[in-house]
Order: sequence, then structure tokens, then C-alpha cells
Amino acid sequence: MGNDTDSRLSQFRKGVVELAILGLLHAGEAYGGEIVERLAGYPGLAISAGTVYPLLSRLKKAGLIDSVWRESPVGPPRKYYRLSTLGASEFGAMATAWDGVTDAMDDLLGKGAAR
Amino acid sequence: MNPQEHGAANGLTPESAELVETYFARVHGALLVAATGECAEAVEDLRGHVYEELAATAGTTADVTRVLAELGPPEALAAACSDTAAAPLPSDRYGRSPLTGTILGMPYELRFPTAERVALRWWDPTNPDVLVPRLFGVGWDLNFAAIAVGLGLIKPDDEDVPFASVPERWLAVSAALPAAVAIVLVVLVASFQGLLPAQVAVHWGISGADRFASKGSALILPVAMTLLGLGILGVAWVRRRSPLTRVAAGALATMLCTISCAAYAQQVVTARGGGDTAVLLSLLGVGLALTFVMLVTLARIGRAAEVRRDLDNTSKKGSV
Repeated sequence: MGNDTDSRLSQFRKGVVELAILGLLHAGEAYGGEIVERLAGYPGLAISAGTVYPLLSRLKKAGLIDSVWRESPVGPPRKYYRLSTLGASEFGAMATAWDGVTDAMDDLLGKGAAR
Repeated sequence: MNPQEHGAANGLTPESAELVETYFARVHGALLVAATGECAEAVEDLRGHVYEELAATAGTTADVTRVLAELGPPEALAAACSDTAAAPLPSDRYGRSPLTGTILGMPYELRFPTAERVALRWWDPTNPDVLVPRLFGVGWDLNFAAIAVGLGLIKPDDEDVPFASVPERWLAVSAALPAAVAIVLVVLVASFQGLLPAQVAVHWGISGADRFASKGSALILPVAMTLLGLGILGVAWVRRRSPLTRVAAGALATMLCTISCAAYAQQVVTARGGGDTAVLLSLLGVGLALTFVMLVTLARIGRAAEVRRDLDNTSKKGSV
């Protein structure tokens, strides 16, 4: 893949990763390493620790997620992340918008019939 | 083509064409201010699209106002265009400016170093890159936080905001360290300046000292670097900047004072017949190590304070 293609793919994944993190936290709280590990299970998203941690910091600054240190059953305390009230409502709006985007893109890419 | 000609070509009145042209002149103006002229072609395409859309209307000023309102304010359109079109350069993390970018594949930075810029480069735990664009000049600097994360000494998200929870007495350590190194320089100068020959080495190559100057002028650079470091540190503390900025200023001052000490100590050693640059390199290594240890220690103190705060809150809630 050329540099241009990589750059384009990276551009359109940027917004998606934010929604992916909110979606993961909507299912329940998680600590940083766990978020990285679970999202890494989706190779299509091409998410690494270098992508996740800056986003967690940005989402926290935006008030969409909260974090709290908790004792861990194994090892030292861990910092857990969870959706804030604002984050939950933002996630709802983004998920709805995402449905519209995927419907439109499936149609444009000729995948509508496969749904 | 002037507005009248544009209007005539697209069936608009001169007043309507004037509105369109004024709008796009403002978009181009905003693009120039943002130094993103590469969007100009896209904006021209958009202008053509606007005229096409207006061709299907009566072309009144009300039609023009409605169509342009759909595009939003010219400045917002310019900002959206430049955000979309600009290539995602690594230097974007540090702010866009004509004084920063890449040359022959290497990053360059010509803006004057500030404590904030030091903080962004030297301690950025969420950035996994160990090498980051140099604080000033061409090349790279070290992101100490990425090294600490790589060594497992900290985690990228240990602190909500780096050093924000570090108690003030520990933050003061970051100011005391460069002050201590500066005192070492003063002691060195007081002890050896009178003993140095008239000409001393001021530059060393692979084969040893290769440039000399009078011992008085050779002292100017180390003293100036030390004063610069202490000056930046002083400003950060007097203005009560954020803990991250103050710690970064401490790290910068420590490095500048150490470089000054190392250069002066090497002058002394060379004047006494030492042929290699072991003293210079060793002391520079010590300076890097001191800075790293200071940053990691403060980050771990900050994390401990955050953990204590959250666990205390949890136990208080549990006992209510």
C-alpha cells in the first residue's frame, strides 16, 4: 500500500476509533490496557496503544468519559474508564449517525443487498 | 473576471454577483491567514458550484444570501477546508507554523523554545514515539515519557494531567535540581578559572580539541546557557504556570546547566593535558540521566497521589 493510501485510511479511521472507544465503554468500564487489548482484536480498526491513550485523554478532557483508580484483584491499582452522562448521550447520537453513514456507504459500495 | 462579468455570465445581477465574490474573497483571505493556500483550488471549484446552483434560481440577492448561508461563515469554511486538505504532518502535534516542518526528511523547529514546548516534547506519555521533533533546530529530541513507558516505569495514562497531582514540595525538587547544577558550575569556575591558560578549548572533534578561544570569552557561552535555563525556570515559577510547564522548565534548565558544566569541566581537563572528550560525554550522560530520573520520579509521585485520592474517595463512599 502506498503512503497516500495509508494516509487516507488513517484519516477515515480517526473518527471511527473515537466511536469505537465510546462503544466499548458503553458496554461497561474498562482499564487502559484492557481497552487497547480488546480493540486490537478488531484488526480492521488498526488501533494501537499510541492511538488509544491520546484519545482517552482527549475524551476525558471533553467530559465524555471519567476515570477512577481501583484496587485490582491482581497486582497494583488500575485506572478504570467509564462513560460520563454526557458521554452516554453523545454515544447515542453518534451511534445513530453511524447507522446513517453505514447505510449510505453500503448503498454506495453496492453492499446494500448483502445486508 | 470581475463581479459584473461573473454575474452576467451566470445570469445574476451585479449586486448578487458582488455578494458571491465578497464571500469567496473572505474565504481566500482566511486561507491566506491560516497559511493553507493549497485549499484555493477546492474553493474555486466550490465557487463554480455556487454559481451553478444560483443559475437555477431567480438570482436575487435573497437567493444568494440563502445559498451562501448554507455554506456557513467564510472563516469557518476556510478552517474546515484547511483541516481536511492539510496533510497530517507529525509536527501537527506541536502546532502548525511556517517556522516548523520537515526538511530532507528531518523535522525542524525555529520557534523560540518555551517551557510549554519543552513539556509537549520531553514528557508526552500518550505519544509512543521516543524521538520527537527537536525543541529548536533540525533533528530530534527524546520523549523521556515514551522511554519510561517502554521500560515499564509508568503507564501512558497514569496521570490525568502530567504532574498535576504532585505535591508542591516535590515540584520544588524540579527547580532545586538545576539550581544545584548551576552551583556546581559556580564552584568549578571559582576553583579553576584562575588556573586556566590564556587560551582554552571551546570545541572538540573526534581527534580532540580543534578550536580555541581566550578563557574569558570561552566562559560566556556556559554562563549564558545557565542563565537562560534559570531564567526560563524563574519565569515559569514566578508566573505560577501549570505543574507540567514548571517541571518541563526544570528539565530544560537541568539540561542547559549540565551542558554548561560539562563544557567547562572539559575545558579544564583539556587544559591539564587530557586528550579525549570522556568528561564532556560522561557529564552529558549524567545530565540526561538526572533529567530522566527526576521526570519519572515526579510522575510516579503524581500517580501515587491520584491513586490515594481515588481509593480514599471509594472507601469514604463505602463507609457512608
